[in-house]
Amino acid sequence: MARFAARLELVVRRPIAWADRWMNRVYGWRLNPLYHSGALTLALIAVVLITGVYLLFFYKISAPHESVARISERIWLGSWTRSLHRYASDAAVLAAAIHALRVFAQRRTWGPRALAWLSGCMLLFVIFVCGWTGYVMVWDVQGLVLAREGARLLDALPVFAEPIGRTFAGDGELPSAFFFLNLFLHVALPVGMAVLLWIHVARLARPALLPPKPLMWGVIGLLAALALLWPAAIAPRADVFTLAVPAPYDVFFSFWLPLTRAMPPWVVWAVLVVAGGAVFLLPYWIRPPARARPPASVVDENLCQGCGQCYLDCPYEAITMISVPDSPRGLVARVDPTMCVSCGICAGSCAPMCVGPPGRTGRDQLADVKAFAGRQQWTRGDVALVACDRGGGAAAEAGEIDGAPVFGVRCVGSLHTSVVEYLVRSGAGGVLIVACPARDCWNREGVTWMLERLYNDREAELPSRVDRRRVRVAYAGEAEFLTVLAELQTFRADVAALEAVAGESNIAIDDSCNPVPEEALR
Amino acid sequence: MGAWQRGLAWTLAAFATLGVGALSQVPYEADSMDEAVVRAAWRFRGARVDECRTLTPAQQAELPAHMRRERVCDTRVIPYRLTVRIDGVLVVDDTARAGGAHEDRPLYVSRDVVVVPGTHAVAIGFERLEELTGDAAAAVPAALEFAAHLELAPKQVALITYDPATQRLVHRGYGRDRP
Repeated sequence: MARFAARLELVVRRPIAWADRWMNRVYGWRLNPLYHSGALTLALIAVVLITGVYLLFFYKISAPHESVARISERIWLGSWTRSLHRYASDAAVLAAAIHALRVFAQRRTWGPRALAWLSGCMLLFVIFVCGWTGYVMVWDVQGLVLAREGARLLDALPVFAEPIGRTFAGDGELPSAFFFLNLFLHVALPVGMAVLLWIHVARLARPALLPPKPLMWGVIGLLAALALLWPAAIAPRADVFTLAVPAPYDVFFSFWLPLTRAMPPWVVWAVLVVAGGAVFLLPYWIRPPARARPPASVVDENLCQGCGQCYLDCPYEAITMISVPDSPRGLVARVDPTMCVSCGICAGSCAPMCVGPPGRTGRDQLADVKAFAGRQQWTRGDVALVACDRGGGAAAEAGEIDGAPVFGVRCVGSLHTSVVEYLVRSGAGGVLIVACPARDCWNREGVTWMLERLYNDREAELPSRVDRRRVRVAYAGEAEFLTVLAELQTFRADVAALEAVAGESNIAIDDSCNPVPEEALR
Repeated sequence: MGAWQRGLAWTLAAFATLGVGALSQVPYEADSMDEAVVRAAWRFRGARVDECRTLTPAQQAELPAHMRRERVCDTRVIPYRLTVRIDGVLVVDDTARAGGAHEDRPLYVSRDVVVVPGTHAVAIGFERLEELTGDAAAAVPAALEFAAHLELAPKQVALITYDPATQRLVHRGYGRDRP
């Protein structure tokens, strides 16, 4: 099963990497909407909520279609608001689907991340149900077809004493309680969404809830313009004595209609249960076998100085500081293995090199880079690459690019700055760090912390004695090998222009740290 | 970001936005243009029969105190047979059972028969499946019948339903009666 899942991931991952590459070329990685799909979903839901509140003032459950028609024709900004409400909800479904595919392709669904996956799936389901009730509220042709289809499926369950489908048979007035229930669900479900969203990000430190402003306002502005120039159509009023006439349907919410209408309800339920079960159980059938799972970080409490930097930097809130009277600061870090995703960011944050996943702590990295540097014969202008082995133009897999040796790390956020310092002091003309674009970091904040450590003295900072002209960061998605090559050539030329330096021997690395102020640990 | 790249970015975004707009309102016809429907749909109270038995003191003692009664009755509603003939052809022959886990709720009929547009001889029968006597038998009709020639245009739905006031099956919705 895990093998099948790995193949499926590749099938999804390749087109995503390809799309990322092209979108990076057009928008640059900072504004690539594919990287911000999750935050965009939330921004679009906010638009849906705001426009929905406005529409709610004018909707009447006693005259649903007439009131929607009135909103479209007579209410100030009514047509525009209704259209924006609809287009934003469509775009939210699209963004959420892209977000889910990315997370799946990047293997971020199992272990401690399973909660986010499950709550995310439930959020998407709730968005669908919200859309369903929203279309039924309009009570046009599409609304009637959706209502009937829903009733047909629900009536197949041995739950209701009176078949729901009879509501739309025409032998009695449609009860206003039906529209009230619809409206109630349409309004109440977003409240449930807020709870699910809270669960969705509960295990994240500093969740990015909104995309960059230019992207957010660009998307909202375009949808607002679309709503103005191409208002959403309103289909003819639902008539229970007429079969559905041709009408405009929303593919984002009704794409399944042609499939389910041709199937008996029990087949639809069977497909739903199997497909829903597969998606919900994904974290369990996709996770690698126990022996292949990356181990959680561990802390060497004898070396830990209790500075609290790893606690601050952990993107998953897996580290707590506990009181230990014998330690230098009265505190030591402790990792909760049920929360740790083995990203290794703590390893990069720890100046004394006492925390990190086994085999990937700062000390392990330092030992590896010593061996790596020992194999090189640096000459003037030589550049070493340090590359993330997940994205980074797949540079880490290459071992060597255009003659430049590559030192692979699991994530640049886990890179200990001592590695960079060691390479430069051992005689490398320069170190090119190949990172994933910041918002595409599989570990959320790896790139952010790496930059802070290199350039803003965040613990464990790159010492000032390392010439920053000899260190550069390049950003490349998984399919952007040519970007890495171009950056390497540019950097090489720049490094060649610098004065020659002699490699040092017996390089001593400073492993002292500045503690985080106590108020930051509270 | 250069001017051409900016232009390309906005153009691409505009096309994507138009794509969202287009997919948001795709013309679709959920039902075929060449169909009409004869719909049999009604709620029917049905004939309720009580099957009662007397509990022995021992049987009563096994029950919780608040449920102890000398005589207990299980109510059920007698099922009916539903038949629909279109132009003399039997297209529905089904048993309508009462709703609810104990089959003590009313009977619900809801059947759509798709027909080609035009005039059709529609005959619907609804007969009680068990013989009954007494008050229960008199409360509701033992059989209901409907027969008419209905002319239906494409997409029209002719509804045959039960009118509790007249205790007859009646025609509503589309479908002009033809002699």
